[in-house]
Amino acid sequence: MTRTMKRNGWKPILRMRTLSWALLMLVVFCVVVPSAHAARPAEFVENDAWDQLMRFLSLRDQGVRLVLGGSLLLGLGCGVLGSFMVVRKLALAGDVLAHGVLPGVVLGFLWNLTKDPLHLFIGAVVSGMLSMAVVTILKRTTKLKQDAILGIVLSGFFAIGTCLLTMVFGLEAGDKAGLDHFMFGQAAALDHLDIRAMSWVTGVSLLIVALLYPKFLLLSFDEGFASSLGLPVRMLHQLMMLLLTFSVVVALQAVGVVLVSAMLVTPAASAYLLTKRFHIMLAWAAGFGMLSGSVGALLSFLGSGLPTGPLMVLTASVIFTIVFCFSPQQGIVIKHFRHVNRRRRVVLENLLKAVYHAAERQEFGENGMTLLDLAKVKRQTLETIQHDVDGLVRRGLATLSHDGDVLYLTTAGMSRAAQLVRNHRLWELYLTNAADYAADHVHEDAERIEHILGEATVRDLERRLDFPSVDPHGSPIPALSAKS
Amino acid sequence: MLENLQSLIPPFDWQQVVVDPWSKSQWVETMWVTGMGVMVAWACGLVGCFLILRRMAMVGDAVSHTILPGLVVAFLISGSRSGWVMFVGAVVAGVFTIWFIELIHSRSLIKQDAAIGICFSALFALGVLLVSRYANQVDLDQDCVLYGEIGQIYWSPTVAGMPEPAFSMAIILVLVLVLLAAFYRRLLVTTFDPGLARSLGIGTTRYHYGLMTVLALVVVAAFKAVGAIMVVAMLIVPGATAYLLSKRLPMMLALTLVHGLLGSVIGFHLGQWLNCSTGAAMVTAGVGLFFITWLATRITRMIQRQKSRRHHDVMDDDHTAFTRPERSEPDPHPVRGATR
Amino acid sequence: MIKKTETVETGSLPLELHDLTVAYHSKPVIYGIDVEVPAGKLVGIVGPNGAGKSTLLKAVMGVLKPTAGWVKIFGEDAKNNLRRIGYVPQRESVDWDFPVTVMDVVLMGRYGKLKWFGWPSKADRELARECLEKVAMLPYADRQIANLSGGQQQRVFLARALAQEADLYLMDEPFAGVDAATERAIITLLHEMRDAGKTILVVHHDLPTAENYFDMLLLLNMRLIGFGPTKEMFTQENLQKTYGGRLTILSEIAEAMGREG
Repeated sequence: MTRTMKRNGWKPILRMRTLSWALLMLVVFCVVVPSAHAARPAEFVENDAWDQLMRFLSLRDQGVRLVLGGSLLLGLGCGVLGSFMVVRKLALAGDVLAHGVLPGVVLGFLWNLTKDPLHLFIGAVVSGMLSMAVVTILKRTTKLKQDAILGIVLSGFFAIGTCLLTMVFGLEAGDKAGLDHFMFGQAAALDHLDIRAMSWVTGVSLLIVALLYPKFLLLSFDEGFASSLGLPVRMLHQLMMLLLTFSVVVALQAVGVVLVSAMLVTPAASAYLLTKRFHIMLAWAAGFGMLSGSVGALLSFLGSGLPTGPLMVLTASVIFTIVFCFSPQQGIVIKHFRHVNRRRRVVLENLLKAVYHAAERQEFGENGMTLLDLAKVKRQTLETIQHDVDGLVRRGLATLSHDGDVLYLTTAGMSRAAQLVRNHRLWELYLTNAADYAADHVHEDAERIEHILGEATVRDLERRLDFPSVDPHGSPIPALSAKS
Repeated sequence: MLENLQSLIPPFDWQQVVVDPWSKSQWVETMWVTGMGVMVAWACGLVGCFLILRRMAMVGDAVSHTILPGLVVAFLISGSRSGWVMFVGAVVAGVFTIWFIELIHSRSLIKQDAAIGICFSALFALGVLLVSRYANQVDLDQDCVLYGEIGQIYWSPTVAGMPEPAFSMAIILVLVLVLLAAFYRRLLVTTFDPGLARSLGIGTTRYHYGLMTVLALVVVAAFKAVGAIMVVAMLIVPGATAYLLSKRLPMMLALTLVHGLLGSVIGFHLGQWLNCSTGAAMVTAGVGLFFITWLATRITRMIQRQKSRRHHDVMDDDHTAFTRPERSEPDPHPVRGATR
Repeated sequence: MIKKTETVETGSLPLELHDLTVAYHSKPVIYGIDVEVPAGKLVGIVGPNGAGKSTLLKAVMGVLKPTAGWVKIFGEDAKNNLRRIGYVPQRESVDWDFPVTVMDVVLMGRYGKLKWFGWPSKADRELARECLEKVAMLPYADRQIANLSGGQQQRVFLARALAQEADLYLMDEPFAGVDAATERAIITLLHEMRDAGKTILVVHHDLPTAENYFDMLLLLNMRLIGFGPTKEMFTQENLQKTYGGRLTILSEIAEAMGREG
């Protein structure tokens, strides 16, 4: 990628990337919007999408309240536990866990042939922890690498679970209707008992995280140090995995086995891009989780019967895309603009310098410089120069004569030019004196540095060099308050 | 629960489960189903061996999830149900995924594991939604996505005297075998020692992309057989089982084929007995074989240790599952240019 | 500010190793180490790559179980006396993109003293600030750790170790990849700690400086080549034995065992 960039320049690659992101968002938009406006016959009387939306938001229906409650709970739990997974680089392990609960869920169902939350919960936890144990054992006892082990356990447990599931579908007895929602999730299938169970489990998980937060943080950051302190590292890790299993189970009915791991990872990854403080990351992750959950549920509600899991995941992914592009520190779109601005500024500043140098040679008699001369000095076309000069004029750093042929620097422009020249020459002096560079090597470095030296650094430099007045090549160094 | 479990598992009737499928009236159908299973296992398993050795198992998993939207979009755009159109869509989607993962991973602080997770779940979710929405227009439904439909292959339209899926699979299998034979040594070198390969003038990137393309082809075929989630099993489990038993690559490849054969046949009969999804049964059988192999290697090692009374291994016990320091070899096959 | 070590119980050395052997997959990494480290000394552990220096530290802390031999910290089993050990790991052992600040990291040094469900107290924070000041990193207390130079990261680790208020310190290559000014600051700090009665073991990679920095040297190349005052240890003969390229019989045996295992 970098080689291509260096060969063809930034533009084609950036265009391609922006295009692909736009394309992705377009595709998502095309999926989401039609389903929102789908005028499909619903259980409710109102067919109109707007009415349905209002119905949802007004929280009039108990069913809606349950769905919303469930989505918020799962978003909260998944966001918090998922954050630990992301910073510990265990995202794929979370995926294994999520698939590993399937056999347990089916066996839990077999207990009474009903969708009893308690039995499903116990089954899921046992099965999930078992899958983690198998991963550990395989890692310890074979030469297989981590990725292969994860793949085997993930698909193995899932296959066993699928066998059991399809066997159950073949049964005569039992209320299996609820079970097929476990694959892709259907938030509308949540009932009181489910919500109650989810609240308890989420509450307990969050309580434990809150109480053990320092230990969990240390475990995630520096396990070696943690064990050197005597902390029971293995137990803490198992406990964290257990809490992760809880989050998976809570999210299971609404999101489905297949996509639960996305709800663990994506909101947390978005949060990761937004902050450098872990507890703030937890807050963002929980927020994004809850947002994705509720929007996904809403969309499913509007689209009558679309599975909620994919909708929640897509919402989370859209949020991730937005953060990825636009986050203040790391968003690639923001970074791109910053880079473009910086380059522009450097070009304009170099122009200022050129005018200053020309004026300096004439001992600051004549301020102006013709565009033609400028073009010759900078070895560029007249059109490029004119374009750049417009930039200077717009920023109030220069003015043009009536016929547009001669460029005059304004006071502001002159003082900025003086600043640049001073920075450059000071830096050259510093490099030759303090850093022992040869006088003919210093120009390149100074060219780059002059644009970014801050005031404080400049004053420090001047002090160190004892307020010099000439640079290594004998040119004068403009004083701090130079205006001409 | 035990009673329910018992009622779930039908009694094991040797005649019904093992013999009858091969009886005069049923053997053709049986043959096609098991044959398809074997072909899928062989094609996937052989490619999977290289995935394992290159530590790219999870990339295989990601690709298997992301071809779904590729298939659907390809269909929606082209309007044709032709298998080859869908193949193209899948390959494009697969390559797109890998590029996507690298984009996230290299342009932000997000680490590779999270990047993989984000990408393939987003794309897979998109695919599932598209399938739900346009189910009647595409040759896919949710069940096919989840479980595959290898059991129904006999009833597909025929091409050249074979059911269509089997025909495509056969072509792919032949392709895999031919490529493997032709490029064996170069694959070996680029897998084992990319540095050496480069110094020998063997283009490592070429083989990487070649492998990815073949992977995409193979995954599309397997997907139809066992569904999206279990494709990774078809890729990894045969090779992993063979890996436990072999010291050299040719042996590993050979054992993969053996595993593929056994797993598919046993799996078919398992499915007959338990009355469950055939694809899932085949995968379960494969995993069962892996487990048995693992057990056997452990027992053998324990016996050996008793015999020679050496100091026993100690370094294993005191690390948690995911942080035991692996030998510090740098990953020779980071997902395209990953540097973190 | 460094607390003087409590009077050491008579007859109990900070660190005692006896016939310490650690194996990895049947291949010995360190073999038959016998060492008695006196209190209040700054000890350098030197040896070539793969000599087992980090393994030695981990075995002392109990992170790795020895195949043979034992470790005693102030007369007791390491497990029971971990609170008296301060550990400074290698900088690579940690993900520096982790969203925590410098202060968060130093506070982690206090976690060993926290109760089960406890959070750091105000006193803990005060101590952390003092430790940061000691390493001249207080102005950076709120900075995220990714935005630090190598030398600054090392100082943060040191501050964390100081916050542990330990008596025996184990440091794994604290001078690796660190600028000259930081290196001078660190060694000054280590000398201060030593003068306050702490015992410090430092895995060191740079031989020339080892001669000047440490009171005692531990020469390690899978087995103990020598342990004693620096002047005595730093001889041509000893260095040849430690860094000499030819495989010793022991290494050959180790290779053979690794192959069979």
